[in-house]
Amino acid sequence: MVLTSTFTPRNFREQSERASHDATLRAVLDHATRYFMGKRGAALEAFADRDTHFARARSARLTALSRLPDLLEQLERSASAAGTKVHWAADAAEGRAIVTGIAKGCGAKVVVKGKSMVTEEIALNPALEATGAEVWETDLGEFIVQLAGEPPSHIIAPCIHKSRADVAALFREKLGLADLSDSASIPELTLLARRALREKFLAADLGVTGVNMAVAESGSVILVENEGNIRMSTTCPPVHVAVMSLEKVVATLEDAADLLRVLPRSATGQKMSSYVSVLTGPRRADELDGAREAHLVILDNGRSEVLADPVLREALLCFRCGACLNSCPVYQTIGGHAYGSVYSGPIGALLSSLLLPAEDTRDLPFGCTMCGACKKTCPLGIDHPNLMLRLRERVCAGKPHFIGAAHAFLASHPLAYRLAVGAARAVDPRLDLLPRLPGLPSGLASFVESRQPPGLKSSFSAQLRAGRKKQGGA
Amino acid sequence: MSRTRILDTLRAGLAAAPLSVPEPPARPASLAVGPDAWALLAAVLEPLDVRLRVAKNPAEAATHVADIARARGAASYARWQDMPAGLDMDAALAGLTRLSPDCCQALAQVDLGLTFAQAALLDSGSLVLIAGAQRPRSVSLLPPTHVCLVPRASLLPDVSALPELLSRQRGPSGLLPSCLNLVTGPSSTADIELVLVRGVHGPGALDIVGLDWDL
Ligand code: SF4
Repeated sequence: MVLTSTFTPRNFREQSERASHDATLRAVLDHATRYFMGKRGAALEAFADRDTHFARARSARLTALSRLPDLLEQLERSASAAGTKVHWAADAAEGRAIVTGIAKGCGAKVVVKGKSMVTEEIALNPALEATGAEVWETDLGEFIVQLAGEPPSHIIAPCIHKSRADVAALFREKLGLADLSDSASIPELTLLARRALREKFLAADLGVTGVNMAVAESGSVILVENEGNIRMSTTCPPVHVAVMSLEKVVATLEDAADLLRVLPRSATGQKMSSYVSVLTGPRRADELDGAREAHLVILDNGRSEVLADPVLREALLCFRCGACLNSCPVYQTIGGHAYGSVYSGPIGALLSSLLLPAEDTRDLPFGCTMCGACKKTCPLGIDHPNLMLRLRERVCAGKPHFIGAAHAFLASHPLAYRLAVGAARAVDPRLDLLPRLPGLPSGLASFVESRQPPGLKSSFSAQLRAGRKKQGGA
Repeated sequence: MSRTRILDTLRAGLAAAPLSVPEPPARPASLAVGPDAWALLAAVLEPLDVRLRVAKNPAEAATHVADIARARGAASYARWQDMPAGLDMDAALAGLTRLSPDCCQALAQVDLGLTFAQAALLDSGSLVLIAGAQRPRSVSLLPPTHVCLVPRASLLPDVSALPELLSRQRGPSGLLPSCLNLVTGPSSTADIELVLVRGVHGPGALDIVGLDWDL
């Protein structure tokens, strides 16, 4: 699908319509959703006492919601006791201000980021870039879509819409690897990305990640991944900032363990992801590595207001395994971009409806066949169709959503702007072009997300290119 | 202030619509760690492309580690200072240059990183590495090959053993260790065309040596 500057949840209908006619996209989606469902199915088949584990995982998440304010206060106390600086952000603007403040405070020139939907949600990258820092997405898929100036298309596999030849072309252009052929193998492309990003990890002043869980009783943040980029981002740079949406807290390490039993299996069919990090405070005085300064940003951005709705708050149970996306016939047909926001698929339609302004998301709850595949798939027992019905009722009754004035920023920040910038950058990589973009209000220009840092070609060392030549393209 | 506003909104929400959590079912019994534990561990590691070599004594462990270094073509290594007693890993790796694990920049030059696991989980094949003064986190992360020693007594059933293990590691102030990593197989990605590649940012090779005696 050709990405245009019109992608926003507001245009969900039209975007879906177009996406469903895109044969290439359909083939890619078909491949990806089958791949994930196949792996997951096999893992769950072999998972002894599966339903009991699912029930315990649901209970851990329900417990978190039932005691949310108390647990957040406890988290603040225990994380502070461990030496982590805890910050509270009511909305995206405050979240950005906190993180950019930290970046400026430590004079960050190079920022490395682990895959995180919540930093996407608050459009952190352009704000960090506006401080003059280079910002690098370091998850391989995220790195690729960043180079391409596109948004990620799937929670678990951000660049499933790109072929190896697409990636080779991108690396050729953006990493200055002029002799890289279209037939470069996938391991070769992966190695090139490893080299390019290794350089950035070692030079980075600041690592920014999301959070899979934060443990109230111990003040720990838990990060789950397969590549090692999140470990790199928390181990090498002197400062680490973890940004969490507030519902990610859990009460105890026991609850975290119950969730870790289920999350990797449901996400990728793994018994455990390659790396799980449990970080409690910054490195101790006698340690040789790890961040010397640890920050935790607790972000609300509309969630706290959802807790009062006994039906819709179920959406806050989600731990982002992505399984409901793959199971959804609508997602299988239209893919992630059509939803027009950070979150896609069944849970994405729900979250966007809850967190974004009503007038932008009114079509989302109708993009659902009520088949119930999502509900059946969700290990946490979220009843998506029931939530969709509730949202449909609200839309039809003309009721406003939960949005308050504090979240108005998100209203003015559809995916459209990010994509508009991506397109602009293809012509002129300089940010100062932005205010002149047609249809882009100048006041918003500084918030516009660019996934493509300036001066890209010169951002990588000559060694990277030379290293490749020396290896004869291997 | 945002903090107060957020907490107040949450409290108001729960007051308006209280949320009670039904008692969850009991956690299913964990796998028993019996005489077949090494075989179970080897079986769960195999699909992850991780080979488990079990040593009966320190001399065998040294031979295994030397074999691994040769097979992986390593010319240099760095290791945790802290190692299970009775193991002379520097003698085992005498042909290699030992580099000091001072920082990430230093470790980026190293071919092989040697650590030991405070626990290994049979259910998932996960190694539990706990960072500390003598145990830098990057030794298991930056070199292309990671070799991990797993003492017999450290074998545990699954991740439900983690809270207790962590509690035992609390410092005098009650703080948990700054970093615990579960390492399950090599670094991996399937981001390009869903084709699995080992070794994207972390080590592409993980080798485990089981220490099958009472340390
Ligand atoms: S709603 Fe359920 S299935 Fe969907 S991502 Fe969240 S936890 Fe996974």
